[in-house]
Amino acid sequence: MSQLDKKAGLLRRTSSSKKTLKEKVVLMYDEIFSKEDPAKNAPRFWDELFLMKVNLEYLELKLESVDEEVQHSQANINALFHYCIQALGEEHPIKVVNALQTLCALFRGVHQKNRSASGFDIINLLMGFDKAEQRMKDLMERLDSLLCGEGSESLKSLCLKLMLCLVTVTDNISQNTILEYVMINSIFEAILRILSDVSSKHLHGYDPVVLLALLVNYRKYESVNPYIVKLSIVDDEPTLDGMGMVIQQALTEYNRQFRDKQEETQGGFFSTLTSMVGSMFIADADEKLSVQTNEAILLALYEAVHLNRNFITVLAQSHPEIDIATTPTTNSPTTPTTPLGTMTPTLDMMNNPELPLDPNLQTTNLLITFLKYASILMQDTKDEHRLNSARLCLIILTCIAEDQYANAFLHDDNINFRVNLHKMLVIYLMVEFIVTHMMKDFPMDLYLRCVQIIHKLLCYQKKCRIRLHYTWRELWSALINLVKFLLSNETTLLVKHNIFHLALLVVNLFNMFITYGDTFLPSSNSYDELYYEIVRMHQVFDNLYCMVLRVSTNTGQWKEAASKVTYALVNIRAIINHFNPKIESYTALNHISQLSEEQVLEVVRSNYDTLTLKLQDGLDQFERYSEQPKEAAFFKELVRSISLNVRKNVSLNTMSQDVLLKEFSTIS
Amino acid sequence: MEDTELEISPAPSDQNSPSLSISSSSSPSVSLPSTPSSSCGSTQPVAPLLGVINEGVCELSLVIDAEVAQRACHEVLQKVKLQQVGSDDVTDLHEQTDPVVPGGPSGPIAAEEEAKPEGLVPGTVKSTRRRQKHNPSKQSWLLRLFESKLFDVAMAISYLHNSKEPGVQAYIGNRLFSFSHEEVDFYLPQLLNMYIHMDEDVGDAIKPYVVHRCRQSISFSLQCAWLLGAYSSDMHISTQRHSRGTKLRKLILSDELKPVGARARREALTLTPFCPALPHSTATTAASGSLVPDHGLSPSKRTHQRSKSDATVSISLSSNLKRTASNPKVESSQDEPVRLAPQREFIKSLMGIGKRLATLPTKEQKTQRLISELSLLNHKLPGRVWLPTAAFDHHVVRVPHTQAVVLNSKDKAPYLIYVEVLECENFETSSVPIRIPENRIRSTRSVENLPDCGMTAEQRAGSFSVVPNYDNDDEAWSVDDIGELQVELPELHASSCDNISQFSVDSITSLESKEPIFIAAGDIRRRLSEQLAQAPTTFRRDPEDPSAVALKEPWEEKVRRIREASPYGHLPHWRLLSVIVKCGDDLRQELLASQVLQQLQSIWQQERVPLWIRPYKILVLSSDSGMIEPVVNAVSLHQVKKQSQLSLLDYFLQEHGATTSENFLSAQRNFVQSCAGYSLICYLLQVKDRHNGNILLDSEGHIIHIDFGFILSSSPKNLGFETSAFKLTAEFVDVMGGPDGDMFNYYKMLMLQGLIAARKHMDRVLQIVEIMQQGTQLPCFHGSSTMRQLKERFHMSLTEEQLQLLIHQLVDGSMRSLTTKLYDGFQYLTNGIM
Repeated sequence: MSQLDKKAGLLRRTSSSKKTLKEKVVLMYDEIFSKEDPAKNAPRFWDELFLMKVNLEYLELKLESVDEEVQHSQANINALFHYCIQALGEEHPIKVVNALQTLCALFRGVHQKNRSASGFDIINLLMGFDKAEQRMKDLMERLDSLLCGEGSESLKSLCLKLMLCLVTVTDNISQNTILEYVMINSIFEAILRILSDVSSKHLHGYDPVVLLALLVNYRKYESVNPYIVKLSIVDDEPTLDGMGMVIQQALTEYNRQFRDKQEETQGGFFSTLTSMVGSMFIADADEKLSVQTNEAILLALYEAVHLNRNFITVLAQSHPEIDIATTPTTNSPTTPTTPLGTMTPTLDMMNNPELPLDPNLQTTNLLITFLKYASILMQDTKDEHRLNSARLCLIILTCIAEDQYANAFLHDDNINFRVNLHKMLVIYLMVEFIVTHMMKDFPMDLYLRCVQIIHKLLCYQKKCRIRLHYTWRELWSALINLVKFLLSNETTLLVKHNIFHLALLVVNLFNMFITYGDTFLPSSNSYDELYYEIVRMHQVFDNLYCMVLRVSTNTGQWKEAASKVTYALVNIRAIINHFNPKIESYTALNHISQLSEEQVLEVVRSNYDTLTLKLQDGLDQFERYSEQPKEAAFFKELVRSISLNVRKNVSLNTMSQDVLLKEFSTIS
Repeated sequence: MEDTELEISPAPSDQNSPSLSISSSSSPSVSLPSTPSSSCGSTQPVAPLLGVINEGVCELSLVIDAEVAQRACHEVLQKVKLQQVGSDDVTDLHEQTDPVVPGGPSGPIAAEEEAKPEGLVPGTVKSTRRRQKHNPSKQSWLLRLFESKLFDVAMAISYLHNSKEPGVQAYIGNRLFSFSHEEVDFYLPQLLNMYIHMDEDVGDAIKPYVVHRCRQSISFSLQCAWLLGAYSSDMHISTQRHSRGTKLRKLILSDELKPVGARARREALTLTPFCPALPHSTATTAASGSLVPDHGLSPSKRTHQRSKSDATVSISLSSNLKRTASNPKVESSQDEPVRLAPQREFIKSLMGIGKRLATLPTKEQKTQRLISELSLLNHKLPGRVWLPTAAFDHHVVRVPHTQAVVLNSKDKAPYLIYVEVLECENFETSSVPIRIPENRIRSTRSVENLPDCGMTAEQRAGSFSVVPNYDNDDEAWSVDDIGELQVELPELHASSCDNISQFSVDSITSLESKEPIFIAAGDIRRRLSEQLAQAPTTFRRDPEDPSAVALKEPWEEKVRRIREASPYGHLPHWRLLSVIVKCGDDLRQELLASQVLQQLQSIWQQERVPLWIRPYKILVLSSDSGMIEPVVNAVSLHQVKKQSQLSLLDYFLQEHGATTSENFLSAQRNFVQSCAGYSLICYLLQVKDRHNGNILLDSEGHIIHIDFGFILSSSPKNLGFETSAFKLTAEFVDVMGGPDGDMFNYYKMLMLQGLIAARKHMDRVLQIVEIMQQGTQLPCFHGSSTMRQLKERFHMSLTEEQLQLLIHQLVDGSMRSLTTKLYDGFQYLTNGIM
């Protein structure tokens, strides 16, 4: 009881007196948790209750301890829930605020106590079975009208917090039975409205986006989730823009913090990128920013990219880089939205979006920001959250690489400006990843995704005859090094991973270049260089061949996987066997001990015609990404982690009473 | 003072409609002063009527200036009346009926002149009569000239400028109404400069016309406002504020000058049988032939027209309202849409972008910034906005922002944008197109980026309604999406006629027949080099010179590409325009040069000498901003040389084929004709700063000079370089086939012919320049001898033989000139221009 007392807000905490003065609201709570109907003697009880400042902690604690007395106080709790919902419709904003906070405490308190209890018991305790449907319908309608109304932004913000609170009360979102009602009474449109509204978007931060991402993940594999369906068909430009901008802000903020921390030390392995794109990637070593909090944002990005076709355009929308730290919630510089159909009388729209006159301001778009973010993340994947985030990043990139429009954008040669570096950026990023993660704790899954992304990009380039002016040599040597790594760590890796699958993918990338190089290589020279690189590193391929041949002739679990690689190597071996003797005889003929690159290229050029290659099947085909069943477990875990994090961080108190009171003092 | 001005301003406009409505009843006999029928007998009954009108006019002029009316000679005034009646409601009529007059103009006019003074004197004020007597012969001569069909806008402008007689000026002011809009528009800078800087009489003579046109047209209003601002800027700030030009500009921008009908439109419909006709309706009535029956017909016709345009207005209004209803943020404060605001805001945003770009240090940052700024601008389109440099009515619907480029300039940031527009009948009355969101592209581009599927994409888009049914399309999409990359469909490749895709077909068939298929590595390598060689000669992307690539792309290709990618591309009236936005640059000299070029072009056309020049449209927005119409399919010689690393002749050979091929020959001819044209221009106007960055080469071999920042008396940094008459490098001569070739002689001959023709019409050229000299601080008018020297360069005193010699000297001098070479070196050192 003493703890309860403390929470009850002792007025004289230090006083030795046993008799403590309790807040009025605490007394009223106590009444609710008694057997009696509190309104029996005080007909205005509920009215008054919502005029009191809420004591969240006390109420939650009270609910947790309600256990023994469940039976007798349930009616009162139901009544409290009911009156909360009613109070949401009140004119008086203070009442609404208090009701929202009380509801939040109710949801939390009930769940905290009854962690093991079934969802139905919880619903029964809160609203009573018979009334539950009506109550939740009322609640959702009230929230909907609050969110869509012209009311205060703080109220809307509080509504979002309540929703986040409700959505994350259980560790596993799919076990949150109350959400079933949220599915039936959708507030999707209200969330979108918030996102599309220029003025409110900045006030609510990431909440609407996170909320949406979480709702989409409610029983996503088991049932028809209306939020999934709705999200997939959104095509309203301002809304999608708004969503993109919230995500971009979050990622930008992270990137900025990272940059600030690492201002001095220049990272080695990203120097290529940095030199390529100026200050775009400023990279470095160890930091532990809240990758975790950004999981939710990444999830939102993933859902948007994965579910919604139109969102891809948003990726490419360029905006000036927004720094929330420096430009807070003022009417932001980036307020495109609200399509101004005609140039109607009030042309304030025309004047408004004058971007701040800061020459250092980088213009960017969501895709660039995302790539930056991914590059920072991928530098260090030891921490589990970072590993997960990196995986999610790669999944998002996979989705992007598969999307026709995104590809068209990535490869649009006619986009002047560094956007045309995007396509290379993705490959750069992949190459950097390949080069930097060959370690004992080999992230096989990430490597597979990485190589597949490259493959998908190549397939697109091959199909559309897009010739990137990229020095493919960098990719080839990265891939060859990867093979080398696989070979030298064969035994340790084989314990955990199917390295043959990865090897097959790598070899097939080479096969793509060998067979279809004419369709996407930037110059005839680059084709020669491909052969040069293969011949130069022939030992790696020889070793790989020996290894897979050995494994495939033995009987074992890898037999089949290995024999696929043997077959895939046929052309590479043909090239090696064709050119090596030619080079040797050239060396002998000209009495040179070491051939220069130019000389080797010369040999290559003059000996193409006698080389016959085998056409391999299905090089330009790939398995399309699908979330289920392969990734379902990953996403379940991810959502769980996000839920925990959001629950921990959502606090209604951030929206402090003082602020609200100040805001409403003029009204009341 | 300003207040009165504002109050007064509606007066002349109100003046217009009543006086017109009165005159219309009698117009059958009066409206055509030059017809033989208007003899003594027929003028008499008109006289009382004229008296009525006269009062009106007196009021009008009193409002402007009491003295003008008194000073105006009566005869002229009467003419004025007749003209105004004729011009105000049948502006285009005059021109069309003139040729119909039988027996040539001189006879009837002469008769009329004799008749009129006699017939009208009794009814006129005595003082004016005395004035007229004072110089009767001159007046009547002038009048004869003014009435003759030879009297064109050029002459009108010249008399307006030279005559000191208020009556004449007033007459010409009214005579302006009878010229076609296009004719007068050419001289708008001159007219307005006179309005600003010359004495009041001229101003008063010009103002009614300007006000009248402003009422008719938004674009004319803005054009005037911009020019008035620009040409007032050189005045001292204190005088500028109270100057006539500034006041008129304010008046226009205050949007007081709404169409006369706008307010009284409904009343006009019901009360008055006559309303000021729309230009095209009069054109149709005039075309129908005789006037008298036509007059009976026209009211009904006109009301019909009117109601139609009313309907469109109300439609666009209602659509505005609808939009505001769905978007509570945009409050419509007035019932009528603000006429000028959208366009002004549009221009303002473009200028704002330019200003902000100038603050960025690198070209790359500028480009980047430009693109994102434009993407924001896109959110406000479509609107009732247009590009003033275009030749047809349209609404701007979208700016394909990713295509915009920053142009090469040292410290300013001019940029080039492409603008998607929808052509329309009349941008003021046609309704503004509905916005189609950007992401609709996805639905129209289902087979996107398959290069050879352009047609299918087009066809699909064609069947697409403006607001597409999304759900249907979504289904179609998911099918493509799965189909495309996963398994290459053989049909897709059957339609594309290339050999490489054969592989994918093979790779599928080989799944069935397990026979291994062999390919030769040599073939792959060969195809690669063939493919690369086939690719059209494009310039390589250079971050320091982003415009090179954008400009090298053939215009048609660019249009097709942008159209495919645009959500509006499927609409039949879709057009692509481009414009260079200049911020921080004074384009008044450019405009002057452009006018001279146009004048010379028309002179050469008239005289049938095949010199080729390409004047481009210049829009002066203020004394330090404006827009330029880019020359399409042309890149600068600098870019040509830098990208191709070839001599000019070799580049010609590469682009057009061997010296004997037809392509080359026609390109060479084009080159010579354009060189001759521009050589003369450079000589006459003393165009300086002729480095290779300022000379374009188009895809047909023409050279086109751009950037007339240094003309007449100004020269860059006054370094004394570039003393040669024009730029004629050895490379140029090589393209012409060497100094002994026929083409080189042809070049010199063309120059001679061109100069002779120009000399013949020297006044038309001089006039343009001379008027603009007034009240200006432009560097090209530096010193006092600018006009004299310009005149001297026409060499009026020389015989044709002497002229020929002169041309030879000029050409020889230019060829041998080291300074040209030196200048190029200087440019290379300072600006990196080759």
